Amino acid sequence: MKKIYLHPLPIRIWHWVNAAGFIILILTGAQIRFGNVIHLFSFETAVDIHSWTGFILIANYCIWLFYYLFTGNIKIYIPPLHHPVEFAKKAIRQAKFYGLGIMVGDENPHHSTFDHKFNPMQQVSYLMIMAALIPVQIITGLFLWDPKLFGPAVNLIGGIQIADMIHVLLFIFFSAFIIVHFYLATLGHTPLAHIIAMFTGYEEEHEEHEEQGHSEEHVHSH
Amino acid sequence: MDDRKKILISLFIVLMIFPICMNASAGVLSDDAQMCLGCHSDKNSTKQLENKEVLSLFIHGDEFANSVHNPINCGGCHTDISMENHPQVKKIKNKKEYTANSSKTCSMCHTDDLLKQKPIHSQLMAKATCVECHGSHYIKSMSEWKKSLDSTQYCLICHKHGISMTLSSGELLSLSINESSLKSSVHGKLVCTACHMDFSKTNHPVRKFKNIKEYTVNAAKVCAMCHTDEQLRKNPVHGSLISKATCVECHGSHSIKAVKAEKATAKENQYCLSCHKSKLSMTMKNGEPLSIYVDEAVLTKSAHSSLPCTNCHTGFSKTAHPVRTFQSRRDYSLFSLSNVCKKCHTNAYTQYEGSIHFSLLNSGNPKAPACADCHGGAHSVGGVKQNKSLGLTSCNKCHGDMNSSYEASIHGKAWTKGNQQAPICSSCHNAHNVESTKMTTKIKEGCLRCHKNTEKIHNKWLSNPPITLSSFAGAHFDVVSCAACHSPGAVRAIYLSLYDRKTGKPLPQEEVLEMFETDSTGFMGKIDMNGDGSIDAKESWNIFKRLYKKGVTTTFMVKMDVRKAAEAHQIGAKTEAIKVCEKCHRPDAEFFKDVFIVMKKVDGKPTILNAKKEVLNSVFSILPVSKFYALGSTNIKLFDILFIIALIGGIAVPIGHITLRIITSPLRSLRKMGKGGKK
Repeated sequence: MKKIYLHPLPIRIWHWVNAAGFIILILTGAQIRFGNVIHLFSFETAVDIHSWTGFILIANYCIWLFYYLFTGNIKIYIPPLHHPVEFAKKAIRQAKFYGLGIMVGDENPHHSTFDHKFNPMQQVSYLMIMAALIPVQIITGLFLWDPKLFGPAVNLIGGIQIADMIHVLLFIFFSAFIIVHFYLATLGHTPLAHIIAMFTGYEEEHEEHEEQGHSEEHVHSH
Repeated sequence: MDDRKKILISLFIVLMIFPICMNASAGVLSDDAQMCLGCHSDKNSTKQLENKEVLSLFIHGDEFANSVHNPINCGGCHTDISMENHPQVKKIKNKKEYTANSSKTCSMCHTDDLLKQKPIHSQLMAKATCVECHGSHYIKSMSEWKKSLDSTQYCLICHKHGISMTLSSGELLSLSINESSLKSSVHGKLVCTACHMDFSKTNHPVRKFKNIKEYTVNAAKVCAMCHTDEQLRKNPVHGSLISKATCVECHGSHSIKAVKAEKATAKENQYCLSCHKSKLSMTMKNGEPLSIYVDEAVLTKSAHSSLPCTNCHTGFSKTAHPVRTFQSRRDYSLFSLSNVCKKCHTNAYTQYEGSIHFSLLNSGNPKAPACADCHGGAHSVGGVKQNKSLGLTSCNKCHGDMNSSYEASIHGKAWTKGNQQAPICSSCHNAHNVESTKMTTKIKEGCLRCHKNTEKIHNKWLSNPPITLSSFAGAHFDVVSCAACHSPGAVRAIYLSLYDRKTGKPLPQEEVLEMFETDSTGFMGKIDMNGDGSIDAKESWNIFKRLYKKGVTTTFMVKMDVRKAAEAHQIGAKTEAIKVCEKCHRPDAEFFKDVFIVMKKVDGKPTILNAKKEVLNSVFSILPVSKFYALGSTNIKLFDILFIIALIGGIAVPIGHITLRIITSPLRSLRKMGKGGKK
């Protein structure tokens, strides 16, 4: 059994803060929006927690951003657009794995390494999320936090209603995403493998993978 | 005593007194009198009174000798003086006191009862002392006295005093004549009896008048003897005045000057007032009377007191008095507004031009207030600084129904207690640029004029971590009227107003109607497709769509306010204000139940249409109401449904996948076994 170092410490910190933050934001967001149905907190408390958490996550996002920008490792998020066909094939192969292969006992076609952490589907999803959706959620969140302070920008996108619409649609997306994300995290070689890796930084490489990996290396060496 | 003895004694007395009387009447001074004159014939003999007046003690011997009082000698009147005690130091305050005391001596012989037999004389006794009219030492017999005076002098003997008569109406008619002004008047050379024809030295009839008006009407008839109507009517203004006022009311009576001389010397305002101080009026074309009377006393106290009349009444002067006509009093008021007041009060006028009052005026509303309706007549207009209550009392003329709620408010109570800093109508609504509050949150500017640092104060409880900026409170102020939170017990509602998105200005109702090709009565029928009398989300979308197709991109601006205007004035104490976020920020918030769409007419009057809450939270609202969103209370319903679907979907994916994995687990076991066998 080989251990592969996947998650450096700053990323592990970012991830868990982000995870907790997301859950808190979703719960308080739901409380703010459905005050007549959900009674976890008062409106004031929900807004207070939501705002504090929002700002903490903005800072947290910066940890992620600066880490990857300074290490140059941001490339792990960038799909190989210079090989689009190959990338598409790999993506389809990955989708097939989750849809069929995993059922019939196929091996995961993607083997994470420090420099190739994400499979093609993850790569596209996380790039979208980290580069577009989260910044948009942060910006619209700030607009809702103080609409007058950001008045000109709010007007630029059409009004506070539009800002809210975007924020809520993303809230809906993230709420669904986080459930699926959690489920996918259990699809390691053991249900806790990915989760433990996110704490320790090291993912245990399955024996078969090791062999396959060696043989691939071997093939490459020829 | 027998009769013979009586006759003898009487004869003796007559024989003794007769030579004395004969002597006196012949102008011979008695020895006593000559003794007195030994000193009092000195022309320089004077006495300084306590008030520094100088009283002449000189007596002209011959004149006294010829007076009717020569026989009674000096001691007959000066009973307190005798040769034993004279001269003595006698303190006299002033001449008035001296004459009053001296006149008391007269009543020793001329008793009050005797003098009061003549009513006119009786009245005079209360006004003047004997000495003031008749003199003291040189009194002649009445017949001789009357003969020696011309009739004017004779009249003035009494009428130079401050005498008056009380008319039946209770009015006081002055009978006092200023001798010098009479002499300098154009009538100075006329004797009194030329006008007062039924009076003479020997005849002074007692006349009675109901009031001063009746007196002046009668007096003016005398004027007509010389100044004929025909002559006076040559000047049209003068002609019209004749029927309104008597000669005396404008020209006075005893101090009349030549018109040319008066024009030359009189100050302009005084010249105008010579006629306009009388209760004159002119008749409008519609028959309404317009008072052109100017109360001089009121004018003097007014803010315009230092202005010459011609400043406002352009075209008028001492030499020009154009004849003007107006359709109605209202017409005159409007003429003054745009031609007179505006000239000096340009700022106020410019503000007024932007007001709902001006819009109403332009639309021909006969009740729309012009300057004078609030400020009163130009001649009585007080300085607003001196009369702050103008901003309350003048508003109450039309908006009196708001007064009771204002009086019950914390502001009204403070004002009633005499706090001059307490806000009144104009403090919040402005005096001149009054706007309809249904379309604007501008009214809060009125509140903020006094309530400083409002953002900071509100941010003590408006929480927005990590840092609550003033803009956060400002965002609330932009939408929520002060009264919505500070008027306890008020019913709140949401008002949506159509604004042109490009210009940022409210879209006038007239423009909207034009684009809908209808009028105000047909408008609701065109919008309210389902005919339920209330605009729903789809219908509000149709308004937006229709106007967009016509080239106008609109947006609904939203404001939370109290339902009834009276409630807006019922501001309570700070402790009664709403400070609970959930009053608004809840999907079922009561304050969002009543929704209205407001459109402003050009005249500023708003039209209020019923609407449903869904105009705020339907998917159809996203674009038309894109500039408003209240956290937690105007959630777009479709997104809530999407959220539930997404949650179900998010949960369904793992469950489905796990299920498939469980179902297919035998396949994987077989394959594993196969791989294992190979191995």
